[in-house]
This record gives sequence, C-alpha cells and structure tokens, in this order.
Amino acid sequence: MDDFERDQFERDQFERELKQAFQRRPAPPSLKRKLMEQRGRQHTGRLRFRAVMWQRLAASVLLVAALGGGLAWRNREEQRKGEAAREQVLTALRITCHALDRVKIQLAEHDRGTQ
Amino acid sequence: MARDWQPDFEQLVDEHQSMVFSLALRMTGDRGLAEEIAQDVFMELDRNLSRIESPLHALCWLRRVAMNRSSDALRRRKVRGMDLWVEMEEGHGARIEKNESRSALGLGVRLEHLLTTLPEPQRAALVLRYQEDLTQEEIAATLEAPLATVKSHLQRGLKLLRARATDQLKEFVRAKEQVRGL
Repeated sequence: MDDFERDQFERDQFERELKQAFQRRPAPPSLKRKLMEQRGRQHTGRLRFRAVMWQRLAASVLLVAALGGGLAWRNREEQRKGEAAREQVLTALRITCHALDRVKIQLAEHDRGTQ
Repeated sequence: MARDWQPDFEQLVDEHQSMVFSLALRMTGDRGLAEEIAQDVFMELDRNLSRIESPLHALCWLRRVAMNRSSDALRRRKVRGMDLWVEMEEGHGARIEKNESRSALGLGVRLEHLLTTLPEPQRAALVLRYQEDLTQEEIAATLEAPLATVKSHLQRGLKLLRARATDQLKEFVRAKEQVRGL
C-alpha cells in the first residue's frame, strides 16, 4: 500500500468513525412535555388575546355608532330649530303684512271720507 | 388545491426531536442551550404549521431553522462577554475531569468535543454531512450558502478535525507511556 492509498484508507476510516460518532442523540425526555405545555399556554394566550381583540372591536364599533348617532341627532336638531325659526319669521312677516294691509285699507277709507 | 397531508404537531415532535436536539447540541456544545433551541424551533414550527406542505418539507424546514437558531445562539453568546468567564471555568472543569477519566472517554465523545473547537461554518457543514447524511448540494440548500463554499468548509473542517484527533491521540499515548514509566 503506497502513501496515497494509505492516506485514502485512513480518510475513509475516519469518515466512517465520524458517521458512527455523529449519530443522533436522543432528546431529553422532558423536551416533549415542556413543548406541549408551552404550546398549551400559548394557545390559551392566543385565544384570550383573540377574545380581548373581539371585545375591543365590538366596543369600538359601539363607540363609533354612538358618536355617529349623536352627531346625526345634533345635526337634525339644529335643522329642526332652523326650520322653526324660519316658520316664526314667516309668520311674523305674514302678521306684519296683514297689519299693513289693514292700515292701508283704513287710510284709503279715511281719504275717501275727507273727499 | 386541497392537501392530502395534514401536519400533526405532536407527531412531528416525536419524529424529529432527536434530530433538532442533536443538531443544536453539536452546534453549541451545550445541552441546556440545545434544549432551549429545540423548544424555540418547535414553537416556531407550531406558528408556521399551516405553511408546511409535506413530511419532507417539515424535515427540511426543521433542519434549516435548527441550524439558524443555533448560529443565532452562538452569536448571542459571543456578544455577551460576561458569560465567557463562566464558559472558561466550565471548560476548565471539564478538562480536568476529562484528564482524570480520559481512558473511559469514547472516540465519539472525543470527536464531539473536538467538533466544538472548529469554526462555526465548518462545524455546521460537518454536522449536516455526518449526522444528517446530507449531500453537499443539500447542505448548501440548508445553509443557504454557495456549493463551492460548502465544499471548502467540508474539506477544511474534515482536515482540521482529523489533525486535532491525531494530535489528541498522540498526546494520549504519550501520557500513557509516562504513566507506565512512573
């Protein structure tokens, strides 16, 4: 066996030893238990988080609806007050117009009497 | 298109826990850290379970994430200067222990110990080659590295490991001869 062959043989031998030495080691028995516990905790946490998020969303929707409703009511109320004021002004104008008409008729009768 | 295979987390843990743990252990050389890494890897799998398409996909995904997590852990450990003293003390303690019971130490354990002395990229390539029995192309895909780089890491790593193993063997023979001489 020459040097090259011996080196090759030793290298192969070493690789075989490495493969044997590097076999998978069994995981600690506690690993799976810890994982399942952690997973359970995280799932519960996730569910709780989702529930809280839904609650927050519902509260936000309610708040927005209440604010929107309030604003709409206020707008309608202002509109109603405006309408009422306009009606009052129109009524006042009608009364004034009627009074002026009467004054005008009286003046006309008075003028006819003096002639 | 509906998938035929539905991933079962518990089954995946049963099948791959030793693979993930061994990769982390050989990359970090620390059992506690390896267990933490394995936990992180499986919890990430749980979060991404809906994206896993087949058993082979799960295996490759776990391998890649285990290697990435191990590298991250090593980087974090390098950054935390404080731990260096603890590690040095632990290493020293282990060395003393090893000297006492060197004859009882198997070749596998010696090689595993020597593996932790190699640079990280070479260690990663060797672990995937000899623990997972991957081809150079598969290692390149797992480590997301060019094939030529992986080939070089394997070659250099193997050479370095062999040289260190030979040195240790010579040292062991010399120590034994000294004991006989006394």
